[in-house]
Amino acid sequence: MNTPGGNIEPVISFGRSLMECGSASLNAPIWQDVLAQAITGELLAAMNYTSLSEICDDPAEMADALEHAEIERGHAARFAVEGRKIGVDAANNVGAKHWKRLRDAFLRCIAERDFIGCLIVQEIMLESFAVASYARVGRVAPGSLGKTFSTIAAEEEEHVDHAMAILRAERALDVQRFDDKVYRLHLDVMTTLAQMLAKECKDGHCEVCHSSCVKPALFDVSLSAAELRGASLRQYLKTLDMLGIPGEVTLTWVTQLPV
Amino acid sequence: MGDSAAGVTTRGRPSEIDFALIGHQESWRAAADVLAVLRGAQRTPLPDDEIKDLLPWIPPRAVCHVEAASIAGRTACGLYIESFIPPDRLEPAYVCENLARVRGAAAYAIEAGAKIVSLGGFSSILIEGNFDQLPERGDTVFTTGNTLTVALIVQGIRKMCALEGRDIESSTLLIVGATGDVGSGCARCLAPLVRHVLLNARNKERLHRLAAELQADGVDVEIATDLREFSAEADVVICAASLASPSLLLGRIAPNAIVCDAGYPKNLSPRAEMRGAKVFFGGLGQITGGMRFAPDFRGVLNRHPFPDVVHGCLLEGMALALERRFEAFSQGRGFITPERVEEIETIAARHGIYLAPLYNGDGPVERHSVICSSGHFDCAACA
Repeated sequence: MNTPGGNIEPVISFGRSLMECGSASLNAPIWQDVLAQAITGELLAAMNYTSLSEICDDPAEMADALEHAEIERGHAARFAVEGRKIGVDAANNVGAKHWKRLRDAFLRCIAERDFIGCLIVQEIMLESFAVASYARVGRVAPGSLGKTFSTIAAEEEEHVDHAMAILRAERALDVQRFDDKVYRLHLDVMTTLAQMLAKECKDGHCEVCHSSCVKPALFDVSLSAAELRGASLRQYLKTLDMLGIPGEVTLTWVTQLPV
Repeated sequence: MGDSAAGVTTRGRPSEIDFALIGHQESWRAAADVLAVLRGAQRTPLPDDEIKDLLPWIPPRAVCHVEAASIAGRTACGLYIESFIPPDRLEPAYVCENLARVRGAAAYAIEAGAKIVSLGGFSSILIEGNFDQLPERGDTVFTTGNTLTVALIVQGIRKMCALEGRDIESSTLLIVGATGDVGSGCARCLAPLVRHVLLNARNKERLHRLAAELQADGVDVEIATDLREFSAEADVVICAASLASPSLLLGRIAPNAIVCDAGYPKNLSPRAEMRGAKVFFGGLGQITGGMRFAPDFRGVLNRHPFPDVVHGCLLEGMALALERRFEAFSQGRGFITPERVEEIETIAARHGIYLAPLYNGDGPVERHSVICSSGHFDCAACA
């Protein structure tokens, strides 16, 4: 269920002009880490779609998955280019602890040849996170960096729309079974995402940031870890609404996530 | 009903949603309690800073299922929909954001198929003059619930006067927030009963209009935008202003005045000094047939010292749902008449919805109440 009603924004004005933000190179180490997380996420998505193509029986679905993998690799490349523009080499680490857990969760669905489970993990959970956080970054990042984040956020949102029709049809076949599956995957994947999105990384280095944790520095570029988490969870709830899962149920799921 | 949120994976909705109640929390403590129930007793409660970070991002949605029972044997099933307006963002500066939240909550109620929707607290304040801002409504009707709120305030004033041995006919009545829907409704109901009426509000033009309406019926009325300008001291006061927080200082009122704080959030400042004043919270009713929540939000969504007590604005939708009368009973601003108040009182009473026992921040104000086996005070149903 979608909940229209206009833009509901916490009234914290993070929007700033390029002039106010200062140059990207001034905050290059921060953008470097933001880009590193984004590139890692995109490469992981590309790997996931490639894996998905391997369990597709339908050639059209297989082609679709491979096309998505290519698109995600393209996103990663565009982020890397943005890094070079501001003079940083944004590394990636798909084996970093949180990202590895997310990949493992996806691979469990692959092992079970669970096409629907794969879509739920990638399109509902990981893409919600990507769409919301890229959109927030796009608002404050200067110049072409911001534009790239915004553009890719919009492209990722189209992926979600594409999967939504398949998932809604699947849910209509057996609501209880479908919702139970989403909940099981939620416990697995969203718990990891919630840890990634925590305001502080209390359980050690994330293995993606190039030195210390970038989260405390996000304020310097008019962002905050709390804002990225809030926006991501809101996007996730809205995506679950679109699937038709009752809001009172998904609210409980989200409030039970670790902080 | 009554299952723990912690154990919920998927909870089926009732096949028919008779009513939806749209509300918001008036304090961070209350918001924290709501999230604590959802989180479940076995999990560590969210720290306050996490709640303040998280809550503004939650889109409007149902929090629980509500079942209301009538003494006439009927039940009605509904949803409580939280708009998640942050308790510290009720000021006018946030009106656009809050309207969007209420619209979102309204859209949610429509999508859920609710037959009637009651708008609680600021939700009705935001919408009462802007019904055209609600989303496309289909078969769902909306009521501000203000007529039953007025009925319960008036009943409370009468009861408090009786408890205190006051003669209402010789009283000077002050209404703060007099030009609002609730304030003007109270004025129309009580003005003919008292000796002198003082009307206070921010909008002078609306004050003049209301005063003229009452004067045409022979009522002795005085108006002021500043409480200090009144020539007389009030001995009965209704506070029905739209305030973002309890900040009202009444100033000069009669010693031992009866004061009904009917605001949500409460109007009266904790710093208000009122010598001997008899303060009670107004506009509250009790559904004596009982009410159940799933998950169990008893005492969390209805934070009152008595069971099954609910704000009148929300009770109106429940009463109309129990009556199977799905109509927009209260809409717009300034249309509440004594006749409409009597009509909704009759409907409510038919289903066991009565004035709640009077209380204030210090506890119950009625010393000689009788508790029935269901925990209801002076239970009309049992009597």
